[in-house]
Amino acid sequence: MIEAKGLTKYFGSIVALEDASFHVGAGEIVGFLGPNGAGKSTAMRILTGFFPASRGEAFIDGHEVHEHPLEAKRRIGYLPENVPLYDEMTVRGFLSYVARVKKVPRAQRSDEAARVMERCGLGNMGERMLRQLSKGYRQRVGIAQALVGSPPVLILDEPTVGLDPSQIVDIRRMIKDLGGDHTVLLSTHILPEVSMVCDRVIIISRGRIVVQDTMEQLTAAGGKTLEQAFMDAVASDLAAEKEAV
Amino acid sequence: MGNIMAVCRREFSSYFLTPIGYVVVGMFAAISGIAFTVSLFTYARMSVEPTAYGFPSTPDFTETLLSPYLVFCGMLIMFLTPLITMRLVAEEKHRGTMELLFTWPLRDRDIIFGKYFAALGMLFVMMLVIAVHLVLIARITTLEPAVLVFGLLTVALMGSAFISLGLFISSVTRNQITSGTITFGISLLLYVAGNLGEQLPTANPTPEGWPEMLRSVVGWIYALVRGITVELAVDAHASEMALGIVQPRDIAYYLLFTAFFLFLTFRAFESRNWRA
Repeated sequence: MIEAKGLTKYFGSIVALEDASFHVGAGEIVGFLGPNGAGKSTAMRILTGFFPASRGEAFIDGHEVHEHPLEAKRRIGYLPENVPLYDEMTVRGFLSYVARVKKVPRAQRSDEAARVMERCGLGNMGERMLRQLSKGYRQRVGIAQALVGSPPVLILDEPTVGLDPSQIVDIRRMIKDLGGDHTVLLSTHILPEVSMVCDRVIIISRGRIVVQDTMEQLTAAGGKTLEQAFMDAVASDLAAEKEAV
Repeated sequence: MGNIMAVCRREFSSYFLTPIGYVVVGMFAAISGIAFTVSLFTYARMSVEPTAYGFPSTPDFTETLLSPYLVFCGMLIMFLTPLITMRLVAEEKHRGTMELLFTWPLRDRDIIFGKYFAALGMLFVMMLVIAVHLVLIARITTLEPAVLVFGLLTVALMGSAFISLGLFISSVTRNQITSGTITFGISLLLYVAGNLGEQLPTANPTPEGWPEMLRSVVGWIYALVRGITVELAVDAHASEMALGIVQPRDIAYYLLFTAFFLFLTFRAFESRNWRA
């Protein structure tokens, strides 16, 4: 469903992502794991067509993102990292607008807005202005916005940041429910989250993919916890860098 | 088309979900209203005593009141458009919503035309204020339809030209204040340039002693620069048209002005594909 081939991104002389190739199958929930600044958001922004890769190709359901942006974008629900929203709109107004942009038929728009609000626990927040919402509720609106139109692929950049513990549990359960019908790629730096939610893990460090494996394989090898596996992967990558220098 | 309308509607309604829409329309109504009243009083005095104002008989209504008033409205719109256009793209970039727009299934043209039409919508609201004034005039005198149509067309074309300029500037800035200031500066520059152009002598400015070849080259460049300065002035093309005298080149000037800056806006949007 999601296919990245040799994605590379330069910002000036800085290499944000280097030769990243990975694959996410239909219905899978895959966790994108890595320290801050590792290139998780960069990879997601390329996949969603926010900016093009310097090199490499990204396919969503067989459509190359840069070549056929509309076809690819129609299949993606994307939650950007800092959850940008139109502050002067109401929750319902905003979600109806998103439904319109995503070509939900006119007759179903208000139902669709109601459906995603219900799904994200925004049932009674419809008339609230987005600027008045707390971080947690903004996050929910951001996820609701991604769910509008039920796109088959969901790309969520740190979906549980800023939520309180009970909301985190809710959102994780929701993401787990979404798997199966949806293909989900989510990024996080919270390790337990990955083991709870994801089928497979991609660990990324300094712009390069260092580990790509299923949860079982990763933790079964040598009876390591995910935490150890992650630390080992990142540490060996850093050691390799030092050696190179 | 559906997507253009979706973006346009959101954009237009957000003018009135924030104070900016009320401020701009309110200011336009107040200032154009005062200008209208003052010119009406002045005209009334002129028609009572035309000789005291240097007219042999009652001055022509269209020439002395209507056309200057409409050109004034056009200039007023020039001062107010930066307030309308400054937020269009700069605000999206500043608060990050550009990331939503660029990852939703929208084309660049949906976003650009949506925003352009929303700003035109604001222009239309301001023109409704002018329409109120025209209805008042129509009660005391008969208006020539040509003057009415082309007068309003002048205002619309001027407005649309300034909006496309503002949209472009907004698409290359992140900060609304920078965006508004630059738009305003360029508009004013275009306005002042016309006055400068009129002051420049038409004759070749090079000294007699220079070689013939050099003289003709420099003279040609000078004439070109002078011509551009005169023709570039945004108000130069408005005054005659507001009198109902329409020349295709005046209309073409505003249409090309608009098309040029819309074209640049498209290029500015595409720059994300090749900029690092």
